[in-house]
Amino acid sequence: MSILDYFKPVSTWPAEKVRQFMKGKTPDQYNLVDVRQPKEYERGHLPGAKLIPLGELKDRLSEVDPNKPTIIY
Amino acid sequence: MEGGINAWKGLRVEGPPDSGMAYFAPATRPEELIALAWYLEKGSHIFYSELSQRLTDRAAKDLFKELAVAEERHQATLSGLYQDFAGSTSTAGFPESVIPSPEKGEIMEGGMRVSETLDWAKGREVKDILDLSISLEAEAYDLHLRMKARLEDPRGKEVFTVLSHEEKDHLDRLSSLLEQKT
Repeated sequence: MSILDYFKPVSTWPAEKVRQFMKGKTPDQYNLVDVRQPKEYERGHLPGAKLIPLGELKDRLSEVDPNKPTIIY
Repeated sequence: MEGGINAWKGLRVEGPPDSGMAYFAPATRPEELIALAWYLEKGSHIFYSELSQRLTDRAAKDLFKELAVAEERHQATLSGLYQDFAGSTSTAGFPESVIPSPEKGEIMEGGMRVSETLDWAKGREVKDILDLSISLEAEAYDLHLRMKARLEDPRGKEVFTVLSHEEKDHLDRLSSLLEQKT
């Protein structure tokens, strides 16, 4: 990850748009990442979401496929 | 996602990242994963098949019948994958010869016992049964994607890719019917 990555525009989608997006795709076609804490994930998460707490994201970026759209919550 | 999970009105599943994985822990080879997954598909087949016979609501009856057939097809898909992976021309003895079922009695996707779940469903409204079925499919979908992410063997990943795609389809169909009923 380079410093330029911090300046890439990131769009924010409403939950309904996310739902529609995922409905028309297989889970192989996007990354779905839960960046909350493990206890929050445990209490309820979107099916198929990968838990990568925000504090670990920088070290675990290799787990996110850069060639696919990524949904983060 | 705007508003984070609080804004999400769709399905959610509970549990830590390794929830449900213990079931697959005895498997050391892809063939054993396939066999263990096969037992769950069989349980789901029995569950949906029984519901399709019990329910009188036509739409629900038809959907559960289709799902029962789909689960049976998944069993066949898994048997085929087993043959591919094992380089075998026969499924004789599968899955018992590969790995015995780790549970006594039938269990199904979502980790529930078939007999207990069918007991629970007795006298319940169709909406409640659809709700439960959606939860079980969502848990299975979540588990299979987590298993896929955890496995390093590409063949093992393929098993869970196949299963998760099918479960997503089941979830969509169950959710559509539930929307019609509410």
